[in-house]
Amino acid sequence: MNVPRIHGIVLSGVGGQGVLSLAQILLEALRRSGLHALQSEIHGMSQRGGSVHAQVCYSEIPLTSPILDEGGADLLVALEPLEALRYVSMLRMNGHLVVAEEPQMDMAGYPPLDDVYAALKTVRGAHLVDTEDLARRLNHRQAGGMALLGMASKFLPVADAVWHEVIAQRFEAKGARVTEKNLEAFEAGRGLIHDPVGA
Amino acid sequence: MVQSTLALGVEAVGCAAFDAGIKGAFGYPGTPSTEGFEAVELLIHGAQDGRVAQWAANEKVAYDLAMGMSYSGFRALVTMKHVGLNVAMDAYANSALTGVRGGLVLLVADDPGMHSSQNEQDSRRLAEFAWLPCLEPSTVQECYDFTLRAFELSEALQVPVMLRIVTRLAHCRAALARRAALAPAGLGPVPASAIQDWVLIPANARRRYVDLLEKQPRLMAEATPLNRLVPGSARRGVALSGMGRAYFGQLLHENPALADLPRLEIAAYPVDPGLEQAFLAQVDEVVVFEEDYPVLEERLGLRGTAKVRGRLDGALPRTGELTPRLLKGALGLEAPAGKAAAALELPIRGPRFCDGCGHVDAYEALQEALAQVGAPETRVFGDIGCYTLAAQEPMAAIHAVVEMGASISMAVGAALAGQTPSVAVIGDSTFGHSGLPALLTAADAGVNVTVMILDNRVVGMTGQQPSQALDQVERMVRGMGLQEDQLQVLLPVPRQHDANVAAVAAALRHPGLSVVVFRRECIQSIRRGVLKDHDRQERERCTTEVCS
Repeated sequence: MNVPRIHGIVLSGVGGQGVLSLAQILLEALRRSGLHALQSEIHGMSQRGGSVHAQVCYSEIPLTSPILDEGGADLLVALEPLEALRYVSMLRMNGHLVVAEEPQMDMAGYPPLDDVYAALKTVRGAHLVDTEDLARRLNHRQAGGMALLGMASKFLPVADAVWHEVIAQRFEAKGARVTEKNLEAFEAGRGLIHDPVGA
Repeated sequence: MVQSTLALGVEAVGCAAFDAGIKGAFGYPGTPSTEGFEAVELLIHGAQDGRVAQWAANEKVAYDLAMGMSYSGFRALVTMKHVGLNVAMDAYANSALTGVRGGLVLLVADDPGMHSSQNEQDSRRLAEFAWLPCLEPSTVQECYDFTLRAFELSEALQVPVMLRIVTRLAHCRAALARRAALAPAGLGPVPASAIQDWVLIPANARRRYVDLLEKQPRLMAEATPLNRLVPGSARRGVALSGMGRAYFGQLLHENPALADLPRLEIAAYPVDPGLEQAFLAQVDEVVVFEEDYPVLEERLGLRGTAKVRGRLDGALPRTGELTPRLLKGALGLEAPAGKAAAALELPIRGPRFCDGCGHVDAYEALQEALAQVGAPETRVFGDIGCYTLAAQEPMAAIHAVVEMGASISMAVGAALAGQTPSVAVIGDSTFGHSGLPALLTAADAGVNVTVMILDNRVVGMTGQQPSQALDQVERMVRGMGLQEDQLQVLLPVPRQHDANVAAVAAALRHPGLSVVVFRRECIQSIRRGVLKDHDRQERERCTTEVCS
């Protein structure tokens, strides 16, 4: 019997980075693409700079479980390299990881950064992005999140027009200029994934 | 269906309460219940049709407010987290005896796994304890539909109805279909013939308790249509409630063979024993998936006709959240392997004080003052709020955190046992919540206690709701009969550090009760401008009136 699969995305980062906003954009884009979608977030202490993570599940069949099993995620979107490593085991064997290189090191015992990058590079399907460099090039301090979303979009069944619509709506209140900058960052992210194998 | 939107489970409850025509919503913030109140508050403010949304000083007060509204014939919602229900317990348990007039729904959000709570208690036990019905949704849409149903049930059965959700559902975001909103419709106050029902002097209470127990079969009959037995061919079955129902439903999609398992699906309590009996007759073994306590598991186990597996026999862990992985394990299903975890050791990134938070300055002043008076090893009693973060290393500035308001009473207890100095740290909102009566006791006890009130003007931890004690803390303290030399108000900023240390040291040396208020607005609420309107109005008022 051919049962439609349940797909999952894990998002991780540090409180204040915008993990939950990204999750909501993903949820909305998937829903507008005619899919059943659910999002789960643990955010009690997130405003205080702790680890924060969210999950988005989607499928052609109705969903009732808002959380994924280990090995059940197709995609991990991480706004911080150490916070990416925490959730690697959530990924399916052929899952993909898009991760910002810029670390948030204001915590005790942060491992040597080179070790963190080295560990990430051993993950098959990992795509690292130098978000600091990207932010400089785009002259947009917060470009990282949208660039990661752009990268993630290469692995998701959502049309370009839907992405643009959802992003535009998200930033509508902040004016045309902010919307434009975010769309630009999104496109820059899309440009970083050339060959989405296994998507 | 009038409208489809995305909402958190707990927000769906708030939307439903609005659509059910409530006249008012009351609550005290607490994760993960907070957004339920905020959702209904937003709708009420938008509607401008005379409805009210009001945070209360604590959960008991919130519950009483809802009872007063129900007494006068209108529907009301009251929201809190599980530990908040303990605070409201007096009002809650007694409301089962008075009954209700306008429908009264209690949203209580439990936190299995203790993502942001002190304990893991299961509110279903408190529904059973008070002999009240409890509905337990498992999806965002059910949060909405069950809330509407809860209001109808409350009025039909004339008792408050509990709606119990857990963190995972409270903070699950999904599509929600809403119906057209009803306007509040007043039934008129409790009629003269029923006034005695609401006067719980012993003679009336004894009569009402009998009435409540006699109502139980009807409560059960009303709950039964939400519960169901799904037959299957296997001799092993599953009993499901809340998120157990949600997770199993998902597994069933992935593994259609699971449809062979007979299932008992519970969404409402009290559960009809006849339904349990009919289910148990079909199986030799049953695995119970429910969130938190083994409520169903114990009930089924007592019937003794099948082997019951779950949290009590070790098929599932005794503590913590239910997860899809745990279900798979207990059912003997294979779980797919994922990528290998990083070989690197990953230290925990815990929450910490925000950069520039005034609490840090207050604690630094306290620690230095304790050293100055020769008592650096003093155990300091802390409380519930952002300032609880000081319990962590390396600050380790507070050494007990038990429940709202406990810091002051415990410090008094320790002082009565001879500890000196005895120090309590409490926030402004927690002070208003449960610290006031404790301070009254402290003022009366005649022992050496120093109470530090960290006043950041908001309920910081849960999202900067305005504090009920806003700008009133010193007046409240003075009202306890404290003299001027027993009260100091300090500004927790680095440039005041030396002066603050000296002031706290003086308070520690003061032989009786002394209160030190550290006041500086939460930097998150300043950033968001939470109190901007309030402060502007105050300034305007002060230019036209004589202000004290």
